[in-house]
Amino acid sequence: MQQVININFHGRIIPIETKAYDKLKAYTESLHKHFANEEGKEEIINDIESRIGELFQERIKQGAVCITDNDVEAVIKSIGRPEEFDGEQSASTESASSTHSSPKAKRLFRDENNKVVGGVCSGLANYFGIDVVIVRIIFVVSVISFGFGFLPYLILWIAIPSSASKEIGSTRKRLYRDDDDKIIGGVCSGLGHYFGINPWIPRVIFLAPFFSNFIDWDRISHFTPFGFIAYIICWIAIPLAKTTSEKLEMKGEKVDMNSIKTTVMSEMKGVESRLKEFSKEATTVAKEKSEVVAGEVKKGWKNSTGIIGKILVTLVKIFVYFILAIIIIALFAVLFSISIASFAIFPLKGFVLNEGWQTAFAWGTLLFFIITPMVWIITSIIRWLTKAKSSSRLLTTSFFTLFVLGAFSLGGLISSIVKEFKSTNDTYEQEVALSNPAVGKLEMVTLPSNNNININEGVQITELDALFEDTLYTSNISIQILKSSNDSFRVTTIKKVNGNNRKNANATAENIHFNLMQRDSILTLDGGIPITRDNKFRNQRIIVTVYVPEGKRIKIGKNIGMFSDNDIDEDVRKAIFPEMIEQKWESGVEYIMKADGLYTIDGQRAEKRKNEKQEDRNDEEIEPVLPEEKNEAKPVRTVKHKIKTEHRRNTPAMQEIRSFNPFLLIK
Amino acid sequence: MNIENTGSQMRKGVLEFCILSIIKQGEAYPSDIIEKMKAANLSIFEGTLYPLLTRLKNAGLLTYRWVESNSGPPRKYFSLTDEGGAFYDELSKIWCELVNAVNMVTINNNQ
Repeated sequence: MQQVININFHGRIIPIETKAYDKLKAYTESLHKHFANEEGKEEIINDIESRIGELFQERIKQGAVCITDNDVEAVIKSIGRPEEFDGEQSASTESASSTHSSPKAKRLFRDENNKVVGGVCSGLANYFGIDVVIVRIIFVVSVISFGFGFLPYLILWIAIPSSASKEIGSTRKRLYRDDDDKIIGGVCSGLGHYFGINPWIPRVIFLAPFFSNFIDWDRISHFTPFGFIAYIICWIAIPLAKTTSEKLEMKGEKVDMNSIKTTVMSEMKGVESRLKEFSKEATTVAKEKSEVVAGEVKKGWKNSTGIIGKILVTLVKIFVYFILAIIIIALFAVLFSISIASFAIFPLKGFVLNEGWQTAFAWGTLLFFIITPMVWIITSIIRWLTKAKSSSRLLTTSFFTLFVLGAFSLGGLISSIVKEFKSTNDTYEQEVALSNPAVGKLEMVTLPSNNNININEGVQITELDALFEDTLYTSNISIQILKSSNDSFRVTTIKKVNGNNRKNANATAENIHFNLMQRDSILTLDGGIPITRDNKFRNQRIIVTVYVPEGKRIKIGKNIGMFSDNDIDEDVRKAIFPEMIEQKWESGVEYIMKADGLYTIDGQRAEKRKNEKQEDRNDEEIEPVLPEEKNEAKPVRTVKHKIKTEHRRNTPAMQEIRSFNPFLLIK
Repeated sequence: MNIENTGSQMRKGVLEFCILSIIKQGEAYPSDIIEKMKAANLSIFEGTLYPLLTRLKNAGLLTYRWVESNSGPPRKYFSLTDEGGAFYDELSKIWCELVNAVNMVTINNNQ
């Protein structure tokens, strides 16, 4: 049985058991004792007591008849016993006194809080007790007038410790994504925090390519992916600022020259330790593995050749690891160069691919087969470097799925392109109207192109703008010289083109516009074969045949076509121009046609110029056969005479060579 | 040296900063502060909180006003003074540096 009394506890009437009351009284007394020396002791105790009263009242509201022993116990537990917060008390007063009363020995620090460049000036000003402006003026004047002052500043910057690094440890700002101020993934606002700029600046930078596309819809396929990919990579790689400390770290101090310096220095340390860890890990892994393997081998050898086996296994292992490392690095390099190459080539897709499935396949290949692994690799590298925990299984799976999708796209793309190059057109020899076929000498030149393309050297993208032009030019132009049957020059062209069937190839051939124009003794050729987005690249090529009458002269200028110079390997030439006969002349040299073939002006027989490589390889391989006789046998003689195309030339391998023919030129 | 003692010493060091931070978010009644601290897994005794609040108030960092409650006497609601705001900003800077420093020192042991 307990007696209940009513007490007036800070304006509240509380019914309480006597035993509980005694306890409460003892507790408040202990509080009084504890806070006896505290400034504002009355107020503290008042606050606590009123809180206790509040808690009691809550208890009664909940239906308790009176405050019991247990209730007081619970309240005391919630508020804490004086001895429980005793330690904290003394510690905080100690620290308070130490911060207030410590006229430390004066030392020279760079002042991080009041700096313009490195805080040297303000540090000096603090140390000598003068105004920082004076110190700054002295430095600036000495820099301007003597050019000196800069060097002392640098030395002081390096030599004087920073106030921050000395007292609290140097600050490092870290890149996080900001969850609180995000639009998509918080990347831009995180970047904004990191560089201390408005998040709309990175946002606009990321979005700029999209806006430029609104201005020019033609270019939509050229720029869009870059900002997008960069954003996705950032999104995956940059960790989200979750905890308060991460958020503070994210917002940290401004990134200026100073913090960059400390960051770089600490990064260097980080790299060093990471390398150490890595080597440690690698050695332990190697050790474990070698022990396992060695153990197995031992069993197999029934312990007879233990040591030798171990050594052998280790050697083999080293060798295998070495090879593996080389393969991985090589694969990486290949993947990287392929991706870069595909980015460069991709804008040209309109010149090769049809709309619809092919373009879709191309996009699929680019996005999933090339970009996805790149993003994957870059992401994992960044994650590894930033030591982000846990490789997400979901991430890996989705990457892999996308990659498989990309592989299918690549397969589809290749097979559809191969189809596009399956057949060739019918071969027609077209007569070119010459204004003066009876001229004594014919000199072939080509129009100088405005971009200074060296036609003999494969792909040359001289300006990025070239990618956006409507017309590409290939220089698959070849010239052959034959003997005319009468006494006037004749020039013919043969257009060859591939297609998915003969009909389409013929149609494409019809669309090739290639002009030759004679003025006196000059025959001007177009620089290349135009390829447009409508008239796509189907390995268009042109053979210009010049029939030179006996006793007349011919000179072929440099840079006509890409196979006129005989520099090109014969096999390549044959692959691209299977219809061509072998050539025996050099560009830039004047020749005269005689009864049995071409001769130079000084009487040398026109022969295929050998380059040094060929000479080294086979000295004897100088063909004794007269080209002329061969030529006569060739059926390219009459206008519109049909030549049977040899279908066996169109083996898939050949088509592949053609379809990935690198000799594309851009004007 | 026992672990609890060291741990509580560590927590005590950041108490003022946490409390100022909570009050900075808006006027707060002490038991609100306790609740928020508890939610953040950093429970403290009210017996620790009240003296701390009084000390901060006496230092001019905090001010309070009485708010009538529907049950019993009015309550004290605390808010930051301008000086308290500046003090908080300084503390948060120091905290940030401290976190970095500790992270940097301990980073090699955490793997």
